[in-house]
Amino acid sequence: MKLLLIEDEQSLRESILAYFSAEGNICELAVDFQSAMEKINLYQYDCILLDLTLPGGEGMEILRALKKLNKKDGVLIISARHSLDDKVDGLNLGADDYLVKPFHLSELQARVTAIVRRKSFDGNSTIIFNEISIDTIGMKVMVNDRVLNLTRKEFDLLVYFTANQRKVVTKNAIAEHLWGDEIDLSDDFDFIYTHIKNLRKKLIEAGSKDYIKSMYGVGYKFENI
Amino acid sequence: MKLSSRYNRVNILVSLLVLLSTGVIYYVVIHFILTEKLDRDLRIEEEEIRAYVQKYHKLPLPADFHDQKVIYRMVSPSDTLGRSYSNSIYLNEKEHEKEPGRRLTTFMKVNDQVYEVSVVKSRLEAEDLVRIIFLISLLIIVLLLLTLFLVNRFLLNSLWQPFYHILDQMKAFNLTGKNEVKVAQSNIDEFVELNQAVLLMSNRVKEDYTELKSFTDNAAHEMMTPLAVINSKLDTLLQTEGFSDKQGELIEDIYLAVGRLSRLNHSLLLLAKIENNMIKNEEPIHLKPLIEQKLRQFQELLQSAEITVSTQLADKEVLMSKYLADILLNNLISNAIRHNVKAGRMLVLLTSDQLIFRNTGIEMALDGGRTFERFNKTAASEGMGLGLAISRQICNHYGFSMTYSYEAGLHTFSVNF
Repeated sequence: MKLLLIEDEQSLRESILAYFSAEGNICELAVDFQSAMEKINLYQYDCILLDLTLPGGEGMEILRALKKLNKKDGVLIISARHSLDDKVDGLNLGADDYLVKPFHLSELQARVTAIVRRKSFDGNSTIIFNEISIDTIGMKVMVNDRVLNLTRKEFDLLVYFTANQRKVVTKNAIAEHLWGDEIDLSDDFDFIYTHIKNLRKKLIEAGSKDYIKSMYGVGYKFENI
Repeated sequence: MKLSSRYNRVNILVSLLVLLSTGVIYYVVIHFILTEKLDRDLRIEEEEIRAYVQKYHKLPLPADFHDQKVIYRMVSPSDTLGRSYSNSIYLNEKEHEKEPGRRLTTFMKVNDQVYEVSVVKSRLEAEDLVRIIFLISLLIIVLLLLTLFLVNRFLLNSLWQPFYHILDQMKAFNLTGKNEVKVAQSNIDEFVELNQAVLLMSNRVKEDYTELKSFTDNAAHEMMTPLAVINSKLDTLLQTEGFSDKQGELIEDIYLAVGRLSRLNHSLLLLAKIENNMIKNEEPIHLKPLIEQKLRQFQELLQSAEITVSTQLADKEVLMSKYLADILLNNLISNAIRHNVKAGRMLVLLTSDQLIFRNTGIEMALDGGRTFERFNKTAASEGMGLGLAISRQICNHYGFSMTYSYEAGLHTFSVNF
C-alpha cells in the first residue's frame, strides 16, 4: 500500500510510520498544510491519513482540494475532535472513515486496510491467508474449501487479525473494535477470551493451523507459522 | 410589587395627607376671617347704638334693627364689664328657625342707668360660605388624586416601555443562539444608558463564551494528542519482542489508565456540548428497534456476566439526536450490567410515556439525590461516575425527566417522556 500521513505531531507520526512500514507499506509524510497540498497534487495514494488540525490550514480544505482534483484516493480522518458535525462534514466531503484520537494502531491499520480493499479497482474483496480465504462482501470464510460457520463478531475478529498480521493486538483494542468505543466497557476484557477461543477452535476444526497466539497476557498475535 | 404601584401608593398617600392638612388649615383660616368680619359688623352696630344714645339719651327700639337682634337688660352699675363676643343662637323670626349666631355684649349708661346691650347676628351665611369652600376643596382633592393616579398609571407604563423591552430581550438572550440583543430607541437618558450597558454586557459575554468554547476545543485537542501519542507508543512498544507476562501486565495497566483518561475527556466534552446546546440534528427515533439492537450489541457482555434480560417494549417514537439516543441507551444498559450481580437480572420496559431499566445489584438503595451527580460513584464501581450524569443531561436537554428508585430489590431508572 502507498500511504500519505498528514499529521503535525511528530511522536504520533513516528509510531504510525513504524507500524505501517514494518509490513512493507510505503508511507509518505506531510507535516503541514502546504506540504500536504503539494503531495496530493503530485501523487496518487491508496489511502491518505488526514489530521484535521494542521499548522497552516484546515484539514477539511485538503478534502475539498482532493474533490476538486477529482482524485480517488481513500481518506481516513484522524482527529482529536469527537464532534458529530466534523464527522458528518468530513464524510460528506468524500472522506471514507473517521477515527477519533486516541486510537490503537491496530485499529488504524484495520480501517486503512478496509478502505483500501473497498477502493481497489480490481474489486478484490477476498482476503487470502494461506489456507484461509475470507470473502468480505459475502461475509464467508473458507478453510481449504470448507465453509466455516462464524458469528458476526468472530468474522470481524478474523478480518481484524488478518489486517494486523504479525502484530501484537491488545485485548482492549479488540474489544473497542468489536463493540465500538461508545460502549463504556468495563475494564475487564476477559470476556474477549471466549470469542478468541471459539474462533480458534472453529479454524482448527476446519483444518487450519493455529495462527492465533496469546501474547504476555495483554493481547494476541496472528502470525504465519 | 411593581415599581409603579409602589410609587403610586407613596405618591397618593403623601398627596392625600398634604391636601387634607391644607384643607384643615384653609377651613380654620377662613373661619377665623369670617368671624372677624362678623365681629367688626357687630362693633359698627354698637357704635351706631352709642351714637343714638348720645344723641337722644335713650335706647333705640329693638324692632328698628334689621337682620340682627338687640336685647337690653338693666344691670347694676357694679356689674359692668368690657365688650365681649360669644357664639349663640339667633332666632330668625321670618323663618321661625334657630340659626347659629354671633353675639356682642357691651354695657351702656343711659340717664344714669346701666344697660347690658347684646347684639346678635346670624352666622348662617358665613357658615354656608365655609361649607361651600370646604366642599369645593374636597372636590378638588378627589379630582387631583384621581388625575394623579391615572397619570401615574398610564404615563409610567408608557415611560417604562423601553425598560420592559430590554428586559424581554435579556430574557430571550441565549449564548449559543444567534439572536442578538436588539434595543429600542429611547430619548430617556437612563434607558439609553441601560441599553448601552446591556449591549456591552451581552457582547462581552458572547466574546468570553466563544473564547471559552474555543479553549475547550483546543484543550480537548491538546489533551487527546498526548494521549494518542502514549497509546501509539504503547502499541509500538508491544511490537518489540521479548516481554514477560509480568511486563505484559504492567503494559495492560497503562493501556487501561490511558483508555479511562481518554473516555473521561470525551465524556466531559460531551457533557459540555449538551449543556451548551451544541448538538442538533434531531430526528424521529424508534426506540423499540434501537433498544433491541443495543441489547444484541451487549449480548456478549450480558452472557459473560450471566445476566438474564427480560423486555417488554411498546412502540415509541421520540424526537432526538441519534447520537445522543445511542449514548443514552448505551449508558443505561452498561450501567445495568456494571452494577449488577453475578447471574443477576435486568428488565427493560418501554411504554408510551416511560422507559424503565430495572436491575439487581447491591441490596441497598442508592442516595437518590446524589445518584445523578458527576463523579458520584460507589467505591466498587469501575466507571467514572459520569454515565448517569450524562444520561440525565441528555434527558433534560429533550425535556424528559429521569428518576431513580429502589423497589423490591431492583434498582430502577426511569426516563419519563
